[in-house]
Amino acid sequence: MSIRRLSRRAPLVALAAAATTAVLLAGCATNTTTAASTDESAGAPGTGGTAIGFIFVGPKDDYGYNQAAYAGSQAVAAAYPDLEVLTAENVPEDDNATRVMESMIRKGAKIIFATSYGHKDPALKVAAANPDVVVLQQGNLVDGDVPPNFGTYFGTVYEPVYLAGIVAGKTTKTNKLGYVYAFPISQTLDNINAFQLGAASVNPDAQTYVVNTSSWCDPAKQAEATSSLLSQGVDVISQHQDCTATIIRTTESAGAYTVGYHADASELAPTGWLTGSEWDWGPLYTKMVQTILDGEFTGSEYNANFRVGLKTGDNPFVQSAYGPAVDEETKDLVEQAKAEISAEDGSPFAGPVVDQAGEVRVPADTIPDYQTIESIDYFVDGVVGQIPSS
Amino acid sequence: MIVDVLTGGVRGGTAILYAALGETIAERAGVINLGTEGSMLTGALAAYAITAETGSPWAGVLAGAAAGGLLALVHAVMVLGRAANQLATGLVVLFLGLGLTSMFGAAYVGRAISPFQPYPVPLLADIPWLGPIFFQHDPLVYGSYLLAPAIWWLLYRSRVGLTIRGAGERGEVLTAYGHSPQLVRYLAVVTGGLLAGVGGAHLSTAYATAWFENMTAGRGFIAVALVIFAAWHPLRAVGGAYLFGAALALSPALQARGLGFNQFALDALPYLVTIAALVLLGRRRSNAAPEGLSRVFELTPAK
Amino acid sequence: MTDTLVRPAPEQAKIVDNRAKMWPRVVVAVLAAPVIFGAFAAVKGVDPLAMYADMAMSLVDPTQAQTVLVRASVLVLAALAVAVPARAGLLNVGGEGQIVIGAVCAAGVGLVTDQRLPGPVVLTLMVVAAMVGGAAWAGIAAGLRLTVKVNEAITTLLMNFIAIDIMLLLIYDPWKDASGFGQPASRPLEDTARLPLFVPGGTLNTGIVVAGIALVAIWWLMSRTGWGFRLRVVGGNPEAARRAGLRVGTLLVTSMLVGGALAGLAGLVHFAGTEFKLRPGMTANFGYVGFLASWLALHRPLRVALAALLLAAIAMTGDSLQIDANLPAASVNVLMAIVLLVVLGFTRRSNK
Repeated sequence: MSIRRLSRRAPLVALAAAATTAVLLAGCATNTTTAASTDESAGAPGTGGTAIGFIFVGPKDDYGYNQAAYAGSQAVAAAYPDLEVLTAENVPEDDNATRVMESMIRKGAKIIFATSYGHKDPALKVAAANPDVVVLQQGNLVDGDVPPNFGTYFGTVYEPVYLAGIVAGKTTKTNKLGYVYAFPISQTLDNINAFQLGAASVNPDAQTYVVNTSSWCDPAKQAEATSSLLSQGVDVISQHQDCTATIIRTTESAGAYTVGYHADASELAPTGWLTGSEWDWGPLYTKMVQTILDGEFTGSEYNANFRVGLKTGDNPFVQSAYGPAVDEETKDLVEQAKAEISAEDGSPFAGPVVDQAGEVRVPADTIPDYQTIESIDYFVDGVVGQIPSS
Repeated sequence: MIVDVLTGGVRGGTAILYAALGETIAERAGVINLGTEGSMLTGALAAYAITAETGSPWAGVLAGAAAGGLLALVHAVMVLGRAANQLATGLVVLFLGLGLTSMFGAAYVGRAISPFQPYPVPLLADIPWLGPIFFQHDPLVYGSYLLAPAIWWLLYRSRVGLTIRGAGERGEVLTAYGHSPQLVRYLAVVTGGLLAGVGGAHLSTAYATAWFENMTAGRGFIAVALVIFAAWHPLRAVGGAYLFGAALALSPALQARGLGFNQFALDALPYLVTIAALVLLGRRRSNAAPEGLSRVFELTPAK
Repeated sequence: MTDTLVRPAPEQAKIVDNRAKMWPRVVVAVLAAPVIFGAFAAVKGVDPLAMYADMAMSLVDPTQAQTVLVRASVLVLAALAVAVPARAGLLNVGGEGQIVIGAVCAAGVGLVTDQRLPGPVVLTLMVVAAMVGGAAWAGIAAGLRLTVKVNEAITTLLMNFIAIDIMLLLIYDPWKDASGFGQPASRPLEDTARLPLFVPGGTLNTGIVVAGIALVAIWWLMSRTGWGFRLRVVGGNPEAARRAGLRVGTLLVTSMLVGGALAGLAGLVHFAGTEFKLRPGMTANFGYVGFLASWLALHRPLRVALAALLLAAIAMTGDSLQIDANLPAASVNVLMAIVLLVVLGFTRRSNK
């Protein structure tokens, strides 16, 4: 190497050395600072903060999941005007989420809502590192012991989907229903199955055709999936996607019926909107925040895998308003079914439930519990399509 | 089912076709632009945004073309003006496009637009088989039917085409005749970006009627690959674009009929098909490359 | 006809003269990037100065700083994966896919052995598996290049998508964690098989050591071995290399294999150091940012380390953009791209 090259490198090398040293020193300083903060936490977890943080996996105006969560966050902001509500959209479900949550904590948040099921691991990490902060995770389940400052929560999605299935089954003229989904995760499988079970309960000839898009929001694939369903004669289409607009608009242009999901998108389908399911997080979020601010989080019902459905209280997942095409008879059937599944011995998955191969998965006269339903890995009879499974 | 898949192929392949036609012009002039994907994205966003603001999808298309062309101009300046490596610059331009569309597109994610509507061609749309496949689409698709032969004519039968091809093969010859090969290349690259922008516009205002971050999902790269295995020939690019579109449409078509294959195997199919096509046609094609482009691609002579 | 498109002979002389003036140019160029990005931010209604202040603050935080180093370790490996083939004149854009395949191979071996064999053995096996997997994935593209003359930039790019689909196929079915509540992810790696942390409870893991060793190894390989020398000759002037009797084809393939192996190693460091399970979206653009880092460093191994650090830091500030400036996190790509554009456009270099 020539002298010239060495001398040109020297300032750069020096800079690099300085930068790296600074960073490493800063890194070594971690332990002392975090040790100090844990000694300070005297009050109950979640109290004494100036802000509440919400992280969303997608954009807040996706007409879907994240929009609903965002609306919930704004309800909290309205209920607690003295606290700052921090929001971050498009937070990926990986280590980035940890950092985003930590930033919010540094800004004074003592309560964090991690609103996507993939945020669970980062959320647990943050909870472990900050015992004075309450971290709530939406949609996932914790195995084993739940840390004292952590909790998961969710509604029972498949209940209103079951009811929507009834409406779909009653309204279809071709007996072909369609469902566009992203990935065969248990929540989606529950939804599809509930949809079909609901439809079949009033229309034994109804079938649900399913198409996946391998993405929670890829408008091009959604358009293609919807078109292929429509070309098969499907006349009612529902979905489990994060952004719902494309499928609804495509369905509406074709003159078919829409069953919504995640949010009320009836304005996109003035003629074809039947009903749907949507999140109304405001009341639940507010209740949880209140419990935390009262210092009563640890040991409360929220300090667990909290699930609420029609049987136990107010399901935050509610049925959307009806569209013009739904007649009174159908509405009555839905009311009836709702009463049935809200009862102690009722459930959309009340036995007998038969899968596509004809095997009885839920025996007659039995009600599967929440864990069983969350572990469903098959399609029920009447669903046309396959899941990747061995 | 074949009709459905082919119809989907035409519908889904149109965006890619526009980008491929544009890239053909650019590569014929000797410049490869991997940032085509970025031009498609900016085109998609600009088109969607302008359509949302003005209510006219046609205004959107113009905006999309302009946006795509503008991004391609960055590429042209870097590659032609500053002699930067073409392939690397293309990818950097892509990143730029990704970042810019994320930044400015966030406001449009949920907004509705009045998109292009399908317009069945009278009489032709009723032909069995061919009717649905070719004549029941939106105006931009019909535009591409006219564009492909027009570009073929432009490249092979017109003076302008000769100039473009000259710039790609032997720039010095153009100089001898008093033309500036650099200017020709600049224009070719920007035109390529313009057309890629139209492709992106089709995606957002006609095909998916929505905007979402990174919605082109690799279509721009496919277009670039397409140009190669079409041997830089615009009409063969049509076949390639529809082939890829059909591969994209295959998965939903199969599923809607209850025929399941592994979801992810089907997802990988379009890319496998593209690579297979490149492999099968590779040797022949690389010899057909414009010489200026060969210098970018080949670093070693035939082994 | 050996000159490139746009460089007439007289400019060649200019290059030699301006070398001394290059560094001030680079500094000015790199400073221009934040100004331009700041302008974009201002258009969006964000105060650029406050934005940069927040971004800087977010880096100073100790945990953030450690995360920057963790990310930089993976990026260094990903960038080297691009740098080695680039010195031979090849463009490896398949870092993303090779990282995924590396992680998949590491997971495959790790999940089978982590409950039966001691930790260090498992780690060693995983390292080997990851490197072999990444090399093989890159080797396919290299082979295609040599046999059917398909440019590796295109094939490696397309293979990225295929690699991700392979991983998804595995984690949705055969490798799905049975106790994962139906979620698509593989079983978490046993504690013993994970990359050890420097400080228990901290964030920094020994991946940085792996990256450091790789850096030194590649530097030595490129500048002190015959292989490295021959590679650089091929990259500088392939025609001359061929005439000099160098086995160009073999050199190209081996450079891609080394690149792929490095990317595979990056996948291992990310998997066994941070993620511990395969899940959708886990690679988060490391391959592409590594590509940018390599170009920023003009493929010199030691500079690659700096570039990786810089880009890792910029990428981290994406969070601050989101929370403080209310810009989408992906906006940070704009800053990265502009930095690269100015460096690519305003620095001359001796080859390509």
